[in-house]
Amino acid sequence: MNLNINFNREWHDEFIKRMDDDGPWTKWELYNLALEAEKNLSIPDFLGLQAPGHLPQLTFLPHQLEVAKTVIEKMNGKAILADEVGLGKTIEAGLILKEYMIRGLAKKVLILVPASLVLQWTGELNSKFFIPAVAQKKSYVWEQCEVVVSSIDTAKRQPHRDIVLNQDYDIIVIDEAHKLKNKNTKNYEFVQHLKKKFCLLLTATPVQNRVEEIFNLVSLLKPGHLGNQENFDKDFRNDKHSLKNEEKLKQLVNKVMVRNRREETGLKWPKRFVKTIPITLSETERNLYSSISDLKELPQFSRSKFSVLTLQREVCSSREACFMTLKNMLQKDPNSEHTIVPIMKKIEEVTQNSKAMKTLELVQSINDKVIIFTEYRATQLYLQWYLQQHGISSVPFRGGFKRSKKDYMTHLFKNHAQVLIATEAGGEGINLQFCQHIINYDLPWNPMRIEQRIGRIHRIGQKGDVHIYNFATENTIEERILNLLYNKINLFESVIGELDEILAKFELKNIETYISDIMLNSESEGEMKVKMDNLASLINLGGGIKKKGWEEHATARDSSFS
Amino acid sequence: MQQHEIHHFLERYFEANECTVEARHPSYMKIQLTVELDKLLMNRPFYWHYLEKTGGVPNPLALTLVTGQQTPPDGGGEFIHFGSPRLHQIFASTKKLGSFIRMYESITQHSGQNIALHPWLCVNMKTSYQCDRKKDRISSYGIHLITGRMVESFHDKLSNLPLTRKIPDFCYTLSPFIRPISGLKRIEALVEQEIRQDDHSWAEDAKTRWREDEELLDRFYEDEEEKPEYYHVEKEALRTQYEPKINVDIINGGLFYLSETVMS
Repeated sequence: MNLNINFNREWHDEFIKRMDDDGPWTKWELYNLALEAEKNLSIPDFLGLQAPGHLPQLTFLPHQLEVAKTVIEKMNGKAILADEVGLGKTIEAGLILKEYMIRGLAKKVLILVPASLVLQWTGELNSKFFIPAVAQKKSYVWEQCEVVVSSIDTAKRQPHRDIVLNQDYDIIVIDEAHKLKNKNTKNYEFVQHLKKKFCLLLTATPVQNRVEEIFNLVSLLKPGHLGNQENFDKDFRNDKHSLKNEEKLKQLVNKVMVRNRREETGLKWPKRFVKTIPITLSETERNLYSSISDLKELPQFSRSKFSVLTLQREVCSSREACFMTLKNMLQKDPNSEHTIVPIMKKIEEVTQNSKAMKTLELVQSINDKVIIFTEYRATQLYLQWYLQQHGISSVPFRGGFKRSKKDYMTHLFKNHAQVLIATEAGGEGINLQFCQHIINYDLPWNPMRIEQRIGRIHRIGQKGDVHIYNFATENTIEERILNLLYNKINLFESVIGELDEILAKFELKNIETYISDIMLNSESEGEMKVKMDNLASLINLGGGIKKKGWEEHATARDSSFS
Repeated sequence: MQQHEIHHFLERYFEANECTVEARHPSYMKIQLTVELDKLLMNRPFYWHYLEKTGGVPNPLALTLVTGQQTPPDGGGEFIHFGSPRLHQIFASTKKLGSFIRMYESITQHSGQNIALHPWLCVNMKTSYQCDRKKDRISSYGIHLITGRMVESFHDKLSNLPLTRKIPDFCYTLSPFIRPISGLKRIEALVEQEIRQDDHSWAEDAKTRWREDEELLDRFYEDEEEKPEYYHVEKEALRTQYEPKINVDIINGGLFYLSETVMS
């Protein structure tokens, strides 16, 4: 066959020169060392992984090694890495990248990640994989550095864009690639024009609710794999949202996508123990709750029932949270003084926070690190003050914190404080697996957010069991949502990946609004129950939220509300 | 490469480069670098530039390398394993330090007769087979620069011989008939012939993968009369990804003067 053989003759000239100059000649030992070094660096086989031998300080999980082998040997280095959250997609990408670099198949590498993760990626590639990655700061970096980490927003803007599109990249890695599902965006168009040999797209949510999204993502990676737009539509599309020949499509997609689920990895996941803790309101708190609930009947609230719902939820959290909202309402509409001021008076009458008292009791009895999640800033501040009064130190945590501040707060929590009080799950890349207890002080109305909360500690690296405490204020909407929906779909025992897909499938993206709607527009308790039941069975029907691996612990759930 | 192999390699490396081993332990070593090695490994060109300008006394650094569980009593030290950048830097430096050689077979002569040493040219080579995957093969060839006879696995055979850097007493060297540059060409021709006789199903397979992806790409744009620029970019990328290539590099080599029968 026609072979392309290239002899590198650089050595010849220098050798002839040394012949003429009669040296210098090296020693026999150094000559042998040079040959041995090259033998150690040479690649004995086309197949198999060399990288683990270069990274003895890292322990790879079996599924991660399998992913790397599959991507390199079966997918020819073009793949969507779509493991469920927490299975280590970053590690897999690093491993594949390292393998290609060791084999000399990749030198010029571009890694596009969300801006907040640039430094983290750069750090991990350097410290864990000994890959000399550089965070893009100056425009000369594109050309002069071999491995560059940047945000897509920077890379696609001039003057960077022209330089980046001019580079011949060996590998491109894109984190959070589901953001590229729309082909009419600038980001999509930019990535499409990059010159690349190998390409890794990382996403935890590859299955979207629109048929063309998967088409767009795959076409970015391997144009034509799913045909062009026209024959894709003909072969697979039924209408806007539904598919035909689904099995065939799945097979095709699986040729370019690896997706491990937690339950399939065979890993021993930490157990989840879920406990619902009922909170009984004091008399004054109950008065406050009732008078807010009565607002619904007032004509001026007929069009803003939603704010009544918010207030109800806030009372379940803290009078402070409730007060802030009332104050804002009053500022917006001074005419509402005669309805709002009496409620503010009722707030003043409240002498204790029953939930906070229970929190204190629980935190003291746990006597270990605890994360408390609340929906409200005012509650967060109050709890911090309240715990401080009882000698318990805590650190606050908010989604809006800068990356460095998040890291610092995580550090403080790990080393100096017993409690972390968070208003949000903390976003991507925050790992708190050294902690085993979560208190859901109040519940968000979006099941995804609950899973994100739990996912911060229920992940690889968690050594012990995970304990989840759900607070439910008796005879309030809080208790109702817990009983009517969350306990019916086994939310706390299940995992996000599937839920994510189910919600997407039914276009229940805005589940929060949907639930509010049920709560507000149901004529009776019975109707509400029926509607919630429908929602629950819809979710359970859509593949259901399996609870494999946790069945045996379902009994651990408190049944005081059943 | 196991940790004890790395340890052994490092010891030999520093000794061959005339560094003083200040502390020797199965699990670590402390090395006083020479000026040459400091310049090669420690990445401080400004220091050396400054020193040369001012004429100061050079003060090369000491390096503590840890290869086992135990760390030196005064703490510190770089942990060296197969993936560590320092080891790869040292590997790379051997290529600079150990590329060109000339050796003589060490013959002790009692009869008082003069012995002729025959010139051999030896090269150690790395052949890389590359497509979207890669494999290397190390080989070694020697050519007798008078007869033109070629010998495979030449380095292994050399390793069994006593060799010296200076021509031994009562020995003289024969002048080559074949110029070294011609010798190199003959070795190349032999290597090429051997490569062509190899099994190249790997290259066939790569071309099949390449063709498949190209067909997909063509299908993706089949309805477009005027193919967009991106089509050509992608097509070119497929070529660089899959096109089978064989690269032959010389690792090191040189002249060896050997007695007449030793390679027969």
